[in-house]
Amino acid sequence: MIEFVRQVRQYHELIWALALKELRVRYKRSVLGFFWALLNPLLMMLVLTVVFGTLLMRLSLPHYSIFLLSVLLPWTFFSQCLSYSVESIVNNGELLKKVRVAKLVFPVAAVVSNIINFLLSMLPLLLLILAVRFPIHWTWIYLPVPMLGLFLFTQGVSFIFATVNVFYRDVSHIIQIILQAWFYFSPIIYSLDFLPGHYRWIFRLNPLLYVLNGFRLSIYYGLLPSLPSAALSLGLGIALLAFGFAVFRRYEKRFVYYL
Amino acid sequence: MGSESYSVEFCDVVQRFRRIRERPDTLREVFAKIIRRRHTFQVFEAIKHISFKVSKGEAVGIVGRNGSGKSTILKLAAGVYEPSEGRVTVQGTVAPLIELGAGFHYELTGRENIVLNGLLLGLTKRQIKTREERIIEFSELGDFIDSPVKQYSSGMYMRLAFSVATEVDPDILIVDEILGVGDGAFQEKCFERIRRFREAGKTILLVTHAMDQVRTLCDRVLLIRGGQLADDGLPDFVIARYEEMLGRRLPEPALQK
Repeated sequence: MIEFVRQVRQYHELIWALALKELRVRYKRSVLGFFWALLNPLLMMLVLTVVFGTLLMRLSLPHYSIFLLSVLLPWTFFSQCLSYSVESIVNNGELLKKVRVAKLVFPVAAVVSNIINFLLSMLPLLLLILAVRFPIHWTWIYLPVPMLGLFLFTQGVSFIFATVNVFYRDVSHIIQIILQAWFYFSPIIYSLDFLPGHYRWIFRLNPLLYVLNGFRLSIYYGLLPSLPSAALSLGLGIALLAFGFAVFRRYEKRFVYYL
Repeated sequence: MGSESYSVEFCDVVQRFRRIRERPDTLREVFAKIIRRRHTFQVFEAIKHISFKVSKGEAVGIVGRNGSGKSTILKLAAGVYEPSEGRVTVQGTVAPLIELGAGFHYELTGRENIVLNGLLLGLTKRQIKTREERIIEFSELGDFIDSPVKQYSSGMYMRLAFSVATEVDPDILIVDEILGVGDGAFQEKCFERIRRFREAGKTILLVTHAMDQVRTLCDRVLLIRGGQLADDGLPDFVIARYEEMLGRRLPEPALQK
């Protein structure tokens, strides 16, 4: 962990430049440019609200769109990060074979660029809340905790997938399926309360649950999570980052022979 | 002399690779191998027990036939590979001119690429800003500097890459077969710059097949054959031996395998 912080500090300029490059390239040559970062989650929310909130479930939740969006945004961040970072080492293979660069800059830059995207995407949520006259709860001030937990967790998982993908390219094929399963397995379009009690323990094994819960509680319900739940959302993030970075460090010297 | 006066030191270095043909690349192959319980990859020694020292300020040419291990030596010196055995010691900062422009991004403009490439080569943002104008001037790109690199001709691309890499101002410059950059006039400028590097007391490692470049730029030449050091000495002498070797068409041991 200390080593992670040290390296990130040492290469922060490079990481920042790579992250901005990522964003610039992503939105270049599209008419709406950065607006896509705002528009995308809104459109996604619209689709899901129509399908699940109106047609399928007929959930009697007030403001289903906000119920959904409060966790859909962090989820989108997570899934986009993974889609990007899984290829982050492989895509920079040509470079890594020629120049000595700290390899961690690529997966970290992938996450940082998506953090920017994610923070931007909070804006439409705020606009939506204002538009439908939903209250802005004081519990918003708790949001930095699940955010930090989410960022650390995502970074850890990104390290693992980026590493494994160097050795087994199968990972980049399978990741979309994993993400899709994970999406339905997580309480995003639904809430755990909707499930029969004796199934719930399976869903509690989901390490993302606590982070997502934190977002939904504080944005939608105006409540704070229990202390253990809050601790878990941060603790799991730290644990995953430490583990993921350890895996990455262990194999990074061998990357160059497999690129 | 203390060891500080050497900028590059190879100490009994061995570099092994797994032959890619045999590398398990997909899970299916891995499963197949686990089931068959054998490892089928072959180990290939690209560098076999090489030792040499390069003093500070020396310009050393590395010659040898294709596949003899020249580029592997450069990559070891640049820190891209870690030796399988032995030790590589490098004193000072290294700038690799190994296949220029590896870090360029086609969608970004030349100016944006200067910053990104400079950072990748280890400069800080402030250092890049102070050198930016010089880089642009040297590259002779003019207005094109603010156009995306994908619109550049290959010559423009190489010129920009060369300008960035040499502005890094390293202690050790590693040059792999890239002095075919741009037209005659620009090549002359590149040569001039490398000569100035030499005069400034920088260390240069140069891999090339152009023997006249070796003669004009290098103080000393290493001849690599089949991953081993076949000769080490003054340019005229070693080049003569190399050309004799080429004339007799001695097969490369490494290629026979």
